[in-house]
Amino acid sequence: MPGRALRVHDGPVGKDDVQVEITTMVQMLGEGFITSFQIFALTLIGALPLGVVVAALRMCRIAPVRLIARAYISVMRGTPLMLQMFAVYFMPFYVFGVQLTPASKWQAVIFAFIANYAAYFAEIYRSGLQSIPRGQYEAAEVLGYSKLQTLAYIVVPQVVKRVIPAIGNEVITLVKDTSLAFAIGVGEMFSTAKALVASQVSMAPFVIAAAIYWTFNFAVELVLGLVEKRLAYYRD
Amino acid sequence: MTAVVSIKNARKSFGASEVLRDISLEVARGEVVAVIGPSGGGKSTLLRCMTLLERLDAGALSYGKVEVATPGSDGASVYAKDDVLGCARSRFGLVFQNYNLFPHLTVMRNIADAPVRVQRRDRAEVERSARELIERMGLTGCEDKVPCHLSGGQQQRVAIARALAMDPEIIYFDEPTSALDPELTAGVLRVIRGLADERMTMVVVTHEMDFAREVADRVVFMDGGMIVEEGPAEQVLDNPREDRTRAFLARIGK
Repeated sequence: MPGRALRVHDGPVGKDDVQVEITTMVQMLGEGFITSFQIFALTLIGALPLGVVVAALRMCRIAPVRLIARAYISVMRGTPLMLQMFAVYFMPFYVFGVQLTPASKWQAVIFAFIANYAAYFAEIYRSGLQSIPRGQYEAAEVLGYSKLQTLAYIVVPQVVKRVIPAIGNEVITLVKDTSLAFAIGVGEMFSTAKALVASQVSMAPFVIAAAIYWTFNFAVELVLGLVEKRLAYYRD
Repeated sequence: MTAVVSIKNARKSFGASEVLRDISLEVARGEVVAVIGPSGGGKSTLLRCMTLLERLDAGALSYGKVEVATPGSDGASVYAKDDVLGCARSRFGLVFQNYNLFPHLTVMRNIADAPVRVQRRDRAEVERSARELIERMGLTGCEDKVPCHLSGGQQQRVAIARALAMDPEIIYFDEPTSALDPELTAGVLRVIRGLADERMTMVVVTHEMDFAREVADRVVFMDGGMIVEEGPAEQVLDNPREDRTRAFLARIGK
């Protein structure tokens, strides 16, 4: 969804410019943050499960599949997310001749974010999975657990605990990365801040935006802390 | 006398090194067999092959009438289908050197999870018998603790209870006290001794010679991937026929 159109413009202050009160700035930035949050939430909803698929392919027994997954992860991690966003945005037009609509930008942002973050999550899942000692699999095998049961009841619960810190890192990075959507013209909080800074000749919007990013990440940290605490009932 | 487990002419190599060379061993119901020998002699590999964690290159393996592996026309072992292997697995339990308990599950769940999920037994009934096992293992009060809050000796006793809860015909122990301090070893050995008194069929790979002498009906000495000597405990440990057995016992101070 495209962000709310701003009445302020990007340029030097003129006599036609409206003076914006701090409270209005906060309100405008808050509205921008709704878009930032939507990018954040949709990316997590898409990338956390897609990462499982990529990780599974990355560890697949069939070598070509493994190779494709490796290449995918390599490109996703090895090129800037901003560039990926533009690639996804222009691809339909240049390759398929599809006309770009205002909604295309939003779709490109979400698509690129999910594709990019899935690659990082996949590698985190893989490292977690490979850190589970072989003895756990062997104990389950001797007890007669099926492969699926071993994964579901023995391995995955332990992997979750091990990957939480690394996933937390990515989630916090994602909050800040949502500002990249500015580059493609999706009106999230950073776009609003940039426009306000220009029109008001004031750094205040940046400061407020920083405070909002940080406050939100502080909440993320609290949630992560709670999850870690819940899983701290055992050491391994 | 039917053998609970029988392994015949077993061979196993890892790359170029031959770890098992023509091993044959049968264990009768109610028998306690101690397997001794130097490290790298093939004891653990033998146990891993018998518990299907490793596959034999050649030879036969069967649990009662369940044929797990049979020699094919070229002598290489041919393994049965998965359902047959599953059937064989339900007949034995394995206690690992480093316990391999599930760290995220309580003592109760460690013991009761597989009977409920794998054998599809009634949870209430399983937990009732698990409680009895916990008491027998001297772990009363530990039901709701997780393994990291237990001593090594307690953890190994949980592992024994976990194996027993599956109601196996035979239990394998792979150096069950090697990871334990001497003071914790006693409790684990006491539990195994108790099982021997109840005529539980067991194969114990061990470095505890006094324990082997006391508990085992038969001692098997393995070295270089072969069974060098086997017989009643007193004979093998006190009057070994083979030089290699004698050298090994001398080396470990017996």
